[in-house]
Amino acid sequence: MPLINDNRLRFGVDTGGTFTDLVVAGDSGGLRIFKRPTTPADPVEGLLDALDAAAQDFGCTRQELLARGDQLVFGTTRATNAIVEGATARTALLTTAGHPDTLTLREGGGRPSLFDYSHEYPAPYVPRALTFEIPERVGAGGEIVTPLDEAKTRALLRTLPDHHTEAIAVCLLWSIVEPAHELRLGELIAEELPGIPFTLSHQLNPALREYRRTSSAAIDASLKPLMSTFLQQLGERLRGAGFEGRLLIMTSSGGTLDAHAVAAAPIHSIGSGPAAAPVAGRHFAQLDAARDTAIVTDAGGTTYDVSVLRDGVLPWTRESVVGHPTFGFTTGFPSVDTTSIGAGGGSIAWVDDGGLLHVGPQSAGADPGPACYARGGVRATVTDACVALGWIDPAYFLGGELTLDGDAARAALQRDVGGPLGLDVEAAAAAVVQLAVERMVRVIEELTLQQGIEPAGTVMIGGGGGSGLYSCAIARRLGSPLVALPAVAATLSATGVLLSDLQTDVAETAVLSSGAFDHARAEQVLRRLELRCREFAEGPGAGALGSEITYSVEARYPQQVWEIELPLRSGSIATPADVATLREDFHRLHESLFAVADRDAEVELVTWRARIRCDLGSPDLEIATPDASTGSSRPQSDRGVAVLTTRRAHFAAIGTTDVPVHRVADLSPGDRVEGPAFVESPVTTVVVEPGASAELAASGTLLLRPLETNR
Amino acid sequence: MSQPDAAREPAAAPQPDGLRLALLNNRFEGISRAMMNTLLRTARSAILNTARDFSCCVLTAGDELLAMAESLPIHVMSGPDLMAAHMKQAHPNLKRGDAFLNNSPYHGNSHAADWSLLVPVIDDAGVHRYTVLAKAHLADCGNAIPTTYSAAARDVYEEGALIFPCVQVQHDYQDRADVLEMARTRIRVPELWHGDFLALLGAARIGERRLLELLDELGPQALADYERDWFDYSERRMADAIGRLPAGRAVTRGRHDPVPGAPDGVPVQVAVDVDPQAGRIAVDLTDNPDCLPCGLNLTRATSKTAAMIGIFTGLGAEVPPNAGSFRRIEVRLRENCVVGIPRHPHSCSAATTNLSELTANLVAGALAELGEGCGMAATGRNQPPATGVISGVDPREHGGPFVNQLMLAVTGGAGGPVADGWLTTLGIGAAGFLLRDSVEIDEMKYPIRVHEQRLIADSEGAGRRRGSPGAHVEYGPVGCELEVIWLSDGTENPAAGVRGGLDGAPAQQRLRSADGTLGGELGTYAQVTVAPGERLVSISCGGAGYGPPREREPARVVADVREGYVTRERARDTYRVALHPDGTLDADTTTRLRETR
Repeated sequence: MPLINDNRLRFGVDTGGTFTDLVVAGDSGGLRIFKRPTTPADPVEGLLDALDAAAQDFGCTRQELLARGDQLVFGTTRATNAIVEGATARTALLTTAGHPDTLTLREGGGRPSLFDYSHEYPAPYVPRALTFEIPERVGAGGEIVTPLDEAKTRALLRTLPDHHTEAIAVCLLWSIVEPAHELRLGELIAEELPGIPFTLSHQLNPALREYRRTSSAAIDASLKPLMSTFLQQLGERLRGAGFEGRLLIMTSSGGTLDAHAVAAAPIHSIGSGPAAAPVAGRHFAQLDAARDTAIVTDAGGTTYDVSVLRDGVLPWTRESVVGHPTFGFTTGFPSVDTTSIGAGGGSIAWVDDGGLLHVGPQSAGADPGPACYARGGVRATVTDACVALGWIDPAYFLGGELTLDGDAARAALQRDVGGPLGLDVEAAAAAVVQLAVERMVRVIEELTLQQGIEPAGTVMIGGGGGSGLYSCAIARRLGSPLVALPAVAATLSATGVLLSDLQTDVAETAVLSSGAFDHARAEQVLRRLELRCREFAEGPGAGALGSEITYSVEARYPQQVWEIELPLRSGSIATPADVATLREDFHRLHESLFAVADRDAEVELVTWRARIRCDLGSPDLEIATPDASTGSSRPQSDRGVAVLTTRRAHFAAIGTTDVPVHRVADLSPGDRVEGPAFVESPVTTVVVEPGASAELAASGTLLLRPLETNR
Repeated sequence: MSQPDAAREPAAAPQPDGLRLALLNNRFEGISRAMMNTLLRTARSAILNTARDFSCCVLTAGDELLAMAESLPIHVMSGPDLMAAHMKQAHPNLKRGDAFLNNSPYHGNSHAADWSLLVPVIDDAGVHRYTVLAKAHLADCGNAIPTTYSAAARDVYEEGALIFPCVQVQHDYQDRADVLEMARTRIRVPELWHGDFLALLGAARIGERRLLELLDELGPQALADYERDWFDYSERRMADAIGRLPAGRAVTRGRHDPVPGAPDGVPVQVAVDVDPQAGRIAVDLTDNPDCLPCGLNLTRATSKTAAMIGIFTGLGAEVPPNAGSFRRIEVRLRENCVVGIPRHPHSCSAATTNLSELTANLVAGALAELGEGCGMAATGRNQPPATGVISGVDPREHGGPFVNQLMLAVTGGAGGPVADGWLTTLGIGAAGFLLRDSVEIDEMKYPIRVHEQRLIADSEGAGRRRGSPGAHVEYGPVGCELEVIWLSDGTENPAAGVRGGLDGAPAQQRLRSADGTLGGELGTYAQVTVAPGERLVSISCGGAGYGPPREREPARVVADVREGYVTRERARDTYRVALHPDGTLDADTTTRLRETR
């Protein structure tokens, strides 16, 4: 069966906190994008609403539209939300005897600020009352120090129903080196407690450090009942609605997996929506700017996420946390790295007793939201400041989906900021935006420095409905010469979902040194990883247009404990010359990241990874051009106003003035707009600051040049 | 945010430009964070790259502390200022590309194991504008015995560390190889040391680079204006915060456990005067013993900082800690005092931990005694064998000599006015910022096995807000002998409760023989060789409680029983809370229990 054909459709879906975004590809008209409110109680409902909108646009029924679908790729915050809301299964944790407090004690540290003792210590992901010690111990070399006491273990397992256990997580010390005890424990659970889902840590996440591996297992097990039900229902309802294609789920590593595979390891669906934005950002950086290093921003009404692409490689973090950055829970998995900046549109602006302006860390969120949402929020936010400056048209926010209360925004700013600082409302609003921009800049600088990238000269990709507001100011501060705002910017994550390959990652821990390198051992490990990749390619990946395996190793200097991921040039380290190359590659990478390399030192290689990507057919990403006869790529709320208007707006540099407002639909490729100006589309407003300019590219992307001075 | 009381609002000060201050503060904090990140990611020894025992800060040309990010307070609140001033005195002709090393207890540093690397930031006009400082606790500093906390050292000679009183280590960005060779020939596991030294240098140079960019962008005058306004702002915040405290004087007393050179322990007294009207706090540390012939003496930096930590802990999060807010604090020290200014050659080997912890806790406790809602109970004393310095020879393939400080479970969090003690506080000076070792990482790197690591029921200092329970850790060598040195406290003098809160359970340190028998108490300070099959048993102190336990909300007690932190018996006897057999609250019995005295 061909995985894709020209008349067949491919659907990309991103379920966010506020909106469910749908992107449809495969039709000759190009990409079509749709946005509908998310329905938190039943997220499938919001998806069906968006599909209804698409069907209307395609001039067919939803049934007919879905029947043309080959693939539906789904990004979901379901797992994340369940964790944040504490709605996961009641999970028991089984640990090595003597070590019951691994989750409770975390990795130490963790207080959010030096002298603020007002926070309670975060409770462990699995309560101590549901943690049980298993009589066994494996040593660091894989030796059995204490054999597993099966009789006692069986007796213990039989008590778990008394605790109303719905899922079980198992993490034993050194199971990554000798998994026999974990495997046997799995068999005992299956025998004693048939039907109860469980997760074995070494199978899920074979990585060193017991806290992270335990956290992985605990989170995964706790999601199993919920996510398997959810994914099963999603599949059934889509099939009921006429979809006969393949249901894929976006994962936190920037790829996709079949829904049933995610149900078996649901931890991979955490953060699946945000992971997609850099995938799309990579595409547009290459398409519109011919660059493979870029800063990708994704700003909603109240949030602001950033990621940094280096040499076309998706940004990667070992520290993925669900929920609050300090009090949340680590997944223990590397994932695509998107950083949520606590200075998005929902951030609250306030002035302390000493007269210092603050933006955040408190956020009004999407609910009640900024004062201008008029949903009960009264405190001034960054979005309110944009309204007060005249940057956002209250009647045309998110294409008119939401009418804003401009008076409420101005009143809040005057009261919370203008009064205390002795500024008029415009100056107060400008101050709030400037500080918010500065905080975003700091986070971007930290991210780029960690990647060894100089932000000056780097292209920015603006996604989400909110990024057009701040991109010009941020790019100026960073010295970034170009901001690309794709036509699908407002649905960047859903577009990324659509662009993602079927992909899985496998890993093994085997500590080797570049000195006295054990070629045989390395070869064994790499061949096992390759075999597992090939099995994936022949299973879920069968019929793909192509597949590719890449290898990497987490490496460090002796005695360092924070490894860095070093891409391998091939899947084999057969000769001494290969080892020398690997060693040199590590020195270079270390130097680019940390400004120093220790060229005399050997390199330790710890966790070996392989990734297989299967190309299921990349969709044609040309968006329908603005003059396409149907104009159907525009959501229905587009009013199609063709006249140039002006709006009173304030810029710190030039004061309050009448600023031209352009509709992107009125622009033709090559048209150029000089700042100050606004370029509006149904889903976003792009602020072109005085001295900057914007131009529409043939791709439909708006290219913003913040630094241009020769007007 | 409560509004300042109009009667004492320092309204004379002009309204600062709240935006400009916020923007620049963001920049400076970003610079110190970039330094911290560099050090964390590149350091070699676990005490740095895992436990995070390091700090970075930016000082003005006038040696005032400007930005410290998430540094350890005990490292930076005072000390960097003294060292920056000393650098200018010792090296009057500062040049771009210079770097200096100061680990001298007599020249502004904290203790000899903390290496402070100072880089003067010289602008294009050749003017010294800032000093950046990176400070890291080395795994070894060349002491006579393999520990960085030499309690038994009678003087600096017996302590044995190499002392660098602001010695030039780079000129024109090039190493001074002769000086580095001195370290290489004295410090155990020199490759490890050199990796850490590179990390220190990298952090300081990153800070220098970013400050030069900032100077280039904004010019020195704008930055000088910012510094003035930022310090003034911070001072006003401090005055406001002190203005909300009750007026009065409180004197608190405590004692450190006996160590060699102080067989009866070390008594410490602090007197705290709060003047809310004037917005000032004074701490008097002068009424204390002379310097002692042991490693416990504080340095000038740590004496002053200990008092400041106690004050800031009692004030909350609103006041930025920097030279501006510090203007409202007076700390009285005297020469040749065990918690004052040391006189050469007294040893200050443990100046960042033992007596500084005690002193800071006494100051926070004094504030607590002045009024409800102020201060904090005492944290657990923090260095039992779970954080001992281990050394030996690794018998495994590719093994060799090793030395490092472990960071296994020590809890130590104290009850405060609002929240219970944290399980990761460690001590008031570390303030919940140090990370703990992974058992797997420790067992991989060293020939040891961690047999047990768990929290101990009923060891918390009970209170309306309770301290954290202590931790039980057992470990021993695998296939070799293991030398362990520790310098703890709190076995005879546990963490002290305040305002009716109870003390935490005391520390213990014992040896379990191969047949499982638990030996006697080994004491606060010991150097022990653990044979194969034997295990060291480390019991860390519980944190102390704040307020009477019988005022603790019954729901919190029920949760503590459910989670195994507190037994039913202790719930009933100490907290006066009764539970039904199913673990739910027995409200009637609880009411009766709480009515009876």
